[in-house]
Amino acid sequence: MTQQPQTLLDSIPASFDTGPQWLRSVRKSAAEVLRERGLPDKKTEEWRFTSVRPLVATEFARADAEAPKLVSPAPKGVTVRSLRQVLEQEPARLEGRLALGESEHFAALNTALFTEGLWIHVAAGVVVEEPLQLIHEPPKTTEPGVSYPRVLVTVESGSEATLIETYPGENPGQLTNSVVEVELGRNAKLNHVRIHENPGLQVGRVEARQEADSSYRSVVLTLGGALLRFDVRALLQGQGAECRLDGAYLVDGNDHVDHHTVVEHQAPRCQSDQTYRGIASGRGTAVFDGVVFVHRGAQKTEAHQENRNLLLSDTATVHTKPHLEIDTDDVICSHGATVGSLDESQLFYLRTRGIPEELARAMLTYAFIEEVVDRVSHEPTRDRLREAVLARIPAGEAVRGAS
Amino acid sequence: MLKIENLHVEVEGSPILKGIDLEIQAGEVHAIMGPNGSGKSTLAYVLAGREGYEVTKGRVTYKGQDLLEMSPEARAAEGVFLGFQYPVAIPGVSNVYFLKAALNALRKHRGEDPLDAIDFMKLSKEKAALVQLSDELTKRSVNEGFSGGEKKRNEIYQMAMLEPSLAVLDETDSGLDIDALKVIADGLNTLRSPERAMLVITHYQRLLDYIVPDVVHVLIDGQIVRTGDKDLAKRLEAEGYAEVRNAMQP
Ligand SMILES: Nc1ncnc2c1ncn2[C@@H]1O[C@H](COP(=O)(O)OP(=O)(O)OP(=O)(O)O)[C@@H](O)[C@H]1O
Ligand SMILES: [Mg+2]
Repeated sequence: MTQQPQTLLDSIPASFDTGPQWLRSVRKSAAEVLRERGLPDKKTEEWRFTSVRPLVATEFARADAEAPKLVSPAPKGVTVRSLRQVLEQEPARLEGRLALGESEHFAALNTALFTEGLWIHVAAGVVVEEPLQLIHEPPKTTEPGVSYPRVLVTVESGSEATLIETYPGENPGQLTNSVVEVELGRNAKLNHVRIHENPGLQVGRVEARQEADSSYRSVVLTLGGALLRFDVRALLQGQGAECRLDGAYLVDGNDHVDHHTVVEHQAPRCQSDQTYRGIASGRGTAVFDGVVFVHRGAQKTEAHQENRNLLLSDTATVHTKPHLEIDTDDVICSHGATVGSLDESQLFYLRTRGIPEELARAMLTYAFIEEVVDRVSHEPTRDRLREAVLARIPAGEAVRGAS
Repeated sequence: MLKIENLHVEVEGSPILKGIDLEIQAGEVHAIMGPNGSGKSTLAYVLAGREGYEVTKGRVTYKGQDLLEMSPEARAAEGVFLGFQYPVAIPGVSNVYFLKAALNALRKHRGEDPLDAIDFMKLSKEKAALVQLSDELTKRSVNEGFSGGEKKRNEIYQMAMLEPSLAVLDETDSGLDIDALKVIADGLNTLRSPERAMLVITHYQRLLDYIVPDVVHVLIDGQIVRTGDKDLAKRLEAEGYAEVRNAMQP
């Protein structure tokens, strides 16, 4: 689909005349929110440290790639369909599932404008061993282009799957504004790995809606980016659900990456655990903002949150703000954030054993985020990530040579 | 092998070492004893090249070279080893992994080929057995979750792997139970050789019963106030530092 380049807000149509009625109304309300509030600016609390000014005035060509494709055929029990096709043939099945009509800013923009995407459906009681791998190739044009990938992942009761999403790309002028919705039935489990390799402009949101005793485990790896904003929201709606949100990000050069997490404890006896680690060098900026809401009635909640950052240069910047909002008693919660440099006594210890300073620094730097990389259980992906991380840390080469 | 002359060291502007003279020949074992805060660890750190210790006077010559000019890793490459009083934990860096990197860096410096994984593991097993360090501990992150005694055994395991010419061992015996002390002492005695010198810092005569020193120094308030043979350590144990200190006053 090609049109004249337009600014993001101008590209919202005046009315929505195609698709099922319910989708039109979801899109309409998203569009209304956008018209009313516009894109975030400096005064928008959630965007305080991340300016999207360069995006507001830019005229982007609509440049949707094909629907993202799974790397290998869907295994037994998993159905993968084009969203466009399902919306044409059985729209009722998606009603209430493509849900982000009330959301703000970029997620609303995606909701109003997406034309294609995927529905990954894991039938009840299926344990999928091999990970489902999804690569979101950005459009290949050199003009500034925008694409709106949309994915719905439904894991029915008692099922288990792993999804590995990669956002590759080399063209810094392209904007990817993605939304992934995850629905977890009772006792369902999803391991979700998300890799941001694109050095350009990316905005993305994942929302996981979790029924009782379900488990959502997310590992996010962001390997730089001119402007990246990524939000993960886990809604613990059924008793005994758990989520584990982990992430690692590296910024260098003039990178600016901003990760937000939101965990909503809406039911009793749910657990959430978050570990985010960041390494900032060059003139890079990294932002982490994580909030855990424990709603009234969510007794016996256990929520932990940790964000640690390694600052490798005086010109890099880290903003971190983990916080809790607790509306009930009987909870166990903790949160913490640190920003620091490499530990001098660890460095000295390694050097007294004969490890050259540069290698010692690289070893400690890699060790700082290795824990997060190690949470990726799929070995080939883990190895690939290890390489990608080492390639981005000073003297990382030497660490590889030394092992 | 090591010659310390009139060494003065300040930490954050306050003088800690106030004129140390000490000479150690290859094959010798020297012990340094002294009360808390007298500057023993400071001396050890200065020898290993830790930052933040300002040498205001004096010099240190090691194998004919100016030791103080060298980076910590260059000292290690030349055969200096420090056994830490408080070994740091390094989460995420595995013991054997970093030791292999260390050993191969040293071998490179000596003009030797790097050890391959199989030969390295063979060597590691042999040296770990010397101090009864379990396989699991050699593979874990450096000192992470190690007990006090395990940390000290790990130091000696590393020393055995790296085969230094000068080992400075800072309270390698503290926090050890009797059996562990024996294990470590046996390990150290095995490592004793005519080419290797050791500087053993300790509070207790106990260790010196096992590793009999050639020379004993008493360090008080940044100065060596007494030097003698192994009997000096026995006297210290019996009479305490106060006696020795008083005995030196006019
Ligand atoms: N980084 C530092 N900053 C300030 N003072 C220091 C520092 N390091 C050491 N000191 C001081 O130097 C003195 C000597 O310390 P050192 O650790 O060398 O003593 P020690 O003889 O090893 O004692 P111990 O037997 O307790 O291990 C102490 O008074 C100590 O407080
Ligand atoms: Mg000490």
